[in-house]
Amino acid sequence: MKALIIVGHGSHLNEDSSLPVYEHAALVRDHYTGEFDEVVECFWKEEPSMRHVLDMVESENITVVPAFISEGYFTQQVIPRELGLDGPVTHRDGRTIRYAGPLGTFEGMPDVILERADDLLKGKGTRPGRTALVLLGHGTDLNKNSGGVVYLNAERIRERGVYDLVEVGFLDQDPPIAEVVEGVEAENVVLIPVFIAEGWHTRETIPEDLGLTGEVTERADKTIFYGAPVGTHPSVADLIVSRARETEGREAELARDVS
Amino acid sequence: MRATSPERSGGEAPRRNTAAEARAAFAAWVGEAPEGRSFGQVIVRQTPEGYELRHAANVGVPDEELVVHGDPREAREIAKLTEEGEYRPLKSSPNLRRGWVLRVEDERGLYVAMNYLYPSGVVHWHLYRNGELEITNYRENAARQSGIYKRVQRLSDEGVQNAARACCEDAVCLKKTLWDVDENTPRLSEPGEGEIPCPEPCSIFVSFARRVRLFERENKRDLDAIGLSPSEKEDLSALVDAAATGSVEFAREAEFEEPLNERRMRYRKLTLVPKLRPDEDAATPDEG
Ligand code: SF4
Repeated sequence: MKALIIVGHGSHLNEDSSLPVYEHAALVRDHYTGEFDEVVECFWKEEPSMRHVLDMVESENITVVPAFISEGYFTQQVIPRELGLDGPVTHRDGRTIRYAGPLGTFEGMPDVILERADDLLKGKGTRPGRTALVLLGHGTDLNKNSGGVVYLNAERIRERGVYDLVEVGFLDQDPPIAEVVEGVEAENVVLIPVFIAEGWHTRETIPEDLGLTGEVTERADKTIFYGAPVGTHPSVADLIVSRARETEGREAELARDVS
Repeated sequence: MRATSPERSGGEAPRRNTAAEARAAFAAWVGEAPEGRSFGQVIVRQTPEGYELRHAANVGVPDEELVVHGDPREAREIAKLTEEGEYRPLKSSPNLRRGWVLRVEDERGLYVAMNYLYPSGVVHWHLYRNGELEITNYRENAARQSGIYKRVQRLSDEGVQNAARACCEDAVCLKKTLWDVDENTPRLSEPGEGEIPCPEPCSIFVSFARRVRLFERENKRDLDAIGLSPSEKEDLSALVDAAATGSVEFAREAEFEEPLNERRMRYRKLTLVPKLRPDEDAATPDEG
């Protein structure tokens, strides 16, 4: 039997954080029938905990996909420790547990960001002139790579030439998002948070700091379109499955490396 | 939970599937009791069509008065919010809402539903019954913590004891607490009467322990002339302010930074009330 375990951060205070994990799990169950016998959610701060999820799962062939944007403290330290993983592939108690990388660095991520931006603009008028895509990252000291993953996606999207400009701004590191949005030379600004879930920042601090009035904010010099976090987009479910599939070839690869 | 399966020497012995065993054992246990079994706040009963789950307070209530669910995954929504619409971060908290009945077709549906109502409850119940549940004591759990939770390693034994009394007893969590402070230091709080074992401090407990550790630090250096700490005074003022309005509104269940949090108040009852009323026998419990 085959299981997919999706790991989320979770929250002690509200359902925002775990909701996308449950929604993506439900989509995987519906859209990929037959691929996994079990699709199970688990969390750092909610139940079932990572510590206990493997007890609940019946399958012997397990893939763990972290619903996290960047490589860092959680994906490198907390998740492997709590699940008791030895590395990309763990053999224990007659089971094989494969551990996938985070979602943000995956090659499919730019597509999800672009879909999110398209959904946001659909049916809304843009001003004549240039349109900039601005990716918003968290950027914390706890996670040195959290900025890097936003730049990586900006670069990949830039290469596609869909937007006149692709810029990057952060909450907790330079360049600050407010300055980027102010300074960007475009009549239309499409602002997409590269976060995994809605939360206090996406709902309160960001709109407040940037003076946003909702999805569309008209300024004298530009229109700002503000999207939901990329992690809540339904296509993330496909990304999770692709991440899981990618780990399958790994054992063969590892075996080759050893021999 | 790393050693629940027997040691394996080679790669050939068939794997013991504890989760599948637990699923079958639970269904059998339910099947043996025609009136149903109680698990947490839920009554589970076998019916000719499968299994039926409802809140223990809703036994005998006709369908017309309940919301009837037929998909085991709907158990997640049932378990998510309290009757007052508050988010439930701890599923074993005694605040599962009433007013629903969930009918599932088979053992698998039952297992899915139970794991949303009481995540990993069935498998831990099964392992505990067989004497195979591995327990992780507080110190072992704390040693693993990092980042903002690393400081729980410094919580005193007394702090752990009080935190467990405030956080884990049946008034606030229906799990049966099985872990100790460490191998040589038994936990003194009441373990609880329920069917669902708790083999290791949960994330809510660790977060509460972090808060209690911060209280302990204050006690070393910041006490005023009558021996009160800044946070104790903050809590007392908040309580007086709130009560003066005629209704005390509590903070959310796991909002331990807020003065009027139930677990935080339970901790104050254990540690602050004896300071305020030194003449009374502080050890007298208030149950009666
Ligand atoms: S640690 Fe305490 S609060 Fe957490 S589940 Fe166990 S008994 Fe309940």
